[in-house]
Amino acid sequence: MDMPPDAQFGHLHPISSLIREANQIFLRMGFTLAEGPLLESEWYNFDALNVPKDHPSRDMQDTFFVKDMPEHVLRTHTSPVQVRYMESQIKKGAEPPYRVIVPGKIFRNEATDITHEAEFFQIEGLVVEQTATLSTLKGTLSVFLAGIMGGEAEVRFRPSFFPFTEPSLEVDMRLTGQSAPEKLRDKWIEMGGAGMVHPNVLKNAGVDPKKYRGFAFGVGLDRLAMLKWGIDDVRYMHSADLRFINQF
Amino acid sequence: MKISKLWLDKFFSAPLPEASILADALTFHAFEIDGIEKAGDDEVLDVKVTPNRGHDALSHRGIAKELSAILKLPLTNDPLAAHPVLAPVTTEVTVDLQRTVLCKRYIAGYIKGIKVGPSPEWLRARLEAVGQRSINNIVDATNFVMFNTGQPLHAFDAGKLGSLSLGVRAAQDGEVMVALDKKSYTLKKSMMVITAGDASVGIAGVKGGMPAAIDESTKDIIIESANFDGVSVRKTAAALKLRTDASTRFEQVISPELASYGMQSAVELIQKLAGGELAGFVDAYPEPQKPMYASVTVEKVNQVLGASLTGADIADVFVRLGLPYKEESGVFEVSVPFERLDLMIAEDLVEEVARIIGYEKISAVPLPAFDKQPEINKNFAAAESLREELIKQGYSEVCTSIFADKGERMVLNKVDSVRPYLRSSLVPGLAEALAKNKPNKDLLGLKEIKLFEIGTVWSAGTEIIMLGTVTEKEKASEKIFAPANAGNYGELPVSTAARFEHFSKYPYIVRDIAVWAVGDTDAEKIIREQAGPLAVKISLFDRFEKGEKISLAYRIVFQSFDRTLTEVEVNEIMEKVSVELTKQGFEIR
Repeated sequence: MDMPPDAQFGHLHPISSLIREANQIFLRMGFTLAEGPLLESEWYNFDALNVPKDHPSRDMQDTFFVKDMPEHVLRTHTSPVQVRYMESQIKKGAEPPYRVIVPGKIFRNEATDITHEAEFFQIEGLVVEQTATLSTLKGTLSVFLAGIMGGEAEVRFRPSFFPFTEPSLEVDMRLTGQSAPEKLRDKWIEMGGAGMVHPNVLKNAGVDPKKYRGFAFGVGLDRLAMLKWGIDDVRYMHSADLRFINQF
Repeated sequence: MKISKLWLDKFFSAPLPEASILADALTFHAFEIDGIEKAGDDEVLDVKVTPNRGHDALSHRGIAKELSAILKLPLTNDPLAAHPVLAPVTTEVTVDLQRTVLCKRYIAGYIKGIKVGPSPEWLRARLEAVGQRSINNIVDATNFVMFNTGQPLHAFDAGKLGSLSLGVRAAQDGEVMVALDKKSYTLKKSMMVITAGDASVGIAGVKGGMPAAIDESTKDIIIESANFDGVSVRKTAAALKLRTDASTRFEQVISPELASYGMQSAVELIQKLAGGELAGFVDAYPEPQKPMYASVTVEKVNQVLGASLTGADIADVFVRLGLPYKEESGVFEVSVPFERLDLMIAEDLVEEVARIIGYEKISAVPLPAFDKQPEINKNFAAAESLREELIKQGYSEVCTSIFADKGERMVLNKVDSVRPYLRSSLVPGLAEALAKNKPNKDLLGLKEIKLFEIGTVWSAGTEIIMLGTVTEKEKASEKIFAPANAGNYGELPVSTAARFEHFSKYPYIVRDIAVWAVGDTDAEKIIREQAGPLAVKISLFDRFEKGEKISLAYRIVFQSFDRTLTEVEVNEIMEKVSVELTKQGFEIR
C-alpha cells in the first residue's frame, strides 16, 4: 500500500488551530490562558461587569436562560472569566500585574443564518497593570492580529460603548505587506470591541481601581477564521463536516 | 436614528460640509453610521447612538452638538442655550403626581383657540426626511420638537378630556385603552397612565389615547412635556409590543430638565403655526435635578491614554464640547450640562478627551516585557496533547452543538425552539457526525472516518468536559476529560491552509481503474487530462509488483458543483480515459 501520508492523519478543527496559535502569540507576551463555565451566573455574566439590572441585553431575546437555574445564563461573552480570574488571583494573594486570555464558546439567542450562530467562539484579553494604556492596547492587538492573519496589522479605534469598559472602542484592522492575504490587504476590517476596564469591574473583582487599571478586548474567533480562510458560512464551524474540517 | 442634513444646518450659521464628511466625523469621534440616503435635496444619515448617549444624543440637537465639537464649528442656534421661563402659570389646569418615583416631572401647557390645519411645506419636508408622516400642524409640531431636542411631547384635545385635573397613576389591572393607533391595549398595574379626572387618556411615555386625539374640530389643547421612568416605560412598551419614538427616548433615561425646553419650543412653534392664546403652564417637578460635577487630572488622562497631552489640549476639548470647567494645578472640575447624564467619573471625561482629539492620535506601543511567569493551564495543556495524539491516530476534531433533543437541563427561551436541551453526552452528536461523514469517505480520500470532540456536557448536576471518540469500527464513547500536569504546551503545529475551498453539495460517483505501469509514463497525468474538471479527486489507492510488472490502481471521484452527475456521463468519461491509456501503451487490468 502506498497511501499519501496525510490521509492517515486527522485534522485539527480550525477554531482549535486559531486558539492554539493565539495562545502561542500571547504566551510570548506573558499571557496566561484562563477558562470558565459556559452556564454562568448572572452575577459574573452581567452584574460584576457593570451591566445594569435593567439593561436591554438582559431581556429574554438575547440571552439563553435555563430551567430551574434562576439567575443563570449561557454566557453571552467570555468577559465573566475576567472577573473570575482576578478574584482567584486576589484570593491567592497575587496582586496585579495580570495578563490573561480567555478563548471559549459563547451564546446568543438568535436564529442562525450564514453570518449568525447561536453558539460561537470568542477570545478575550485582559491586562491589569500600570502599563495598561490605550497605546499598549493598540500595540497588543496589532501583534495578535498580525500574528494570526499574516503581514503587518495596523489597528484603528472608533468610539463605542460597553458597560464594562470606559473608554469603549470598536477595533478595526488593516493588513499590509506581501504576506497579508490578498483579499484582505489594505482594507479596514471590523474586528471586535475593546476598552479600558471600567473601575467598577476591577472593584467587583476585588482589585483596587485607585492602584491599578486595565484594558480588555474581545474578538470573535469564528469571524477571524472566516476572514483568514475566506469561509463564507459560520455554520460550517459546528457542521462536523470533514469536507470542511479536513481542509485545515 | 435618522438625521437630516438640512435640519442639522439650522443649528449653524452656515451650511455644514456634505453628509459623507459628517458621517466620517461622527464615525471616528462619536457614533457609527449605518448609512446615508438621499431624500430629495436632503441627505439622511442613519446614526447609531450608543446606549450611554441615549440621554442626550437622540435628537438633531444632540448630533449637531457633537458635530460642533468635532468640526470646531460653533453651535449658533442651540435650543438648549437659554434656560426657559414657563410663564404665565395657569390655575385652570392641575397636575397630581401620585407616583413621583416613576414620573419625575410633568409640565402641562394650555393653549386656547388654535386652528388645526396642514403643516407648512418646510415642516412636512423635515418630518418626511426622518421617516415621519405629516398628520396636522399640532401633532407635527410636537414631533418636530421631539426630533429636534429629544424631549417627547404629546398634545391632547382639551375639549375632549372631560376634565383639566390631570394626573399620573398606575393603570388598573385589565384596564383597556384605545391608543392613537386605534388599537386596544390591555394594561397592567405595573404600567402608568395619564389621567384627566377619572379617565385614562394616555399610556405614560408610550402613546396617547384616541378619545382626546387632535382633529380638525380641536380648539383648545393641552401639551404634555414630561419625564417618565426609563425602566418602567421600557417594560411597558415591551409588554404591549408598542415601541414608539417617545418610549425609545424615555427608555434611555432623559433629564427632567429637558422637559421645560421641549415645552417652550413646542408652544412657540404651535402658536406660530396654529395661532391661539397661551393660557399658561403647570409644572409639577417635586425634586429638581441636582447639579452634576465630574473631575479628572491631566496626569490621569495621559496615564489612561498613554499620551502626553497638555492642560491646554484638554481645555480645548471641554470648550468644544460645551463642558464648563474650572482648572487648578492640573485638576479639571467639569460642571456637567444637565443633559449629559453619562458624565460621572474621571474615566468618562478621559473618553471625551480621547474621542474628540481622535483615537488616531494614540500610537501603538508594544506591551513591555512581563516580569511574571505565565501559568500553564492544565486543562488546555491536556486538551492540546490529546488533540495531537488523536490526530496522529487519524482522528479529526469536530465541534458539535451543545443543544440537544434531550438532557438534564432545558433552555427556557430558545428562539428557534429546536433542540432545547443542553446535551448530557457527546455520544449522540458524534454518532450523528459519523453518519454524516461516512458517505463522503471516497471524496475525502479516507479509509475510515474517525472523529473526536473535546466538549462540555451537563450531566449528574454539573458542567463537565468530556472527550468523545467514534470510528466506523468503534461505537461512539466518551470519558471524563482529565487535566494534566504539564510544564509547557510544546511547539504544536497550526493549520497551514491558505484558503477555504467550497465543496459541492451534489452527490459524487466513484470509479476505479487499474493498469500495468509502462516505464516512466505518468498514468495519473493522462487520467487527469482525460477525466477533466469533473474528476475532483484522483488518488493512487493500490500498488503492487508482480515479477517485472507494477500494478497501479487509481480511484477517481466525479462530482459537479451545479448538478447531480449521471452514471451515463461518467461512463463516457471513463471510456475516454481507457481509450487514451490504451493508446499510450497501458494495459488495463
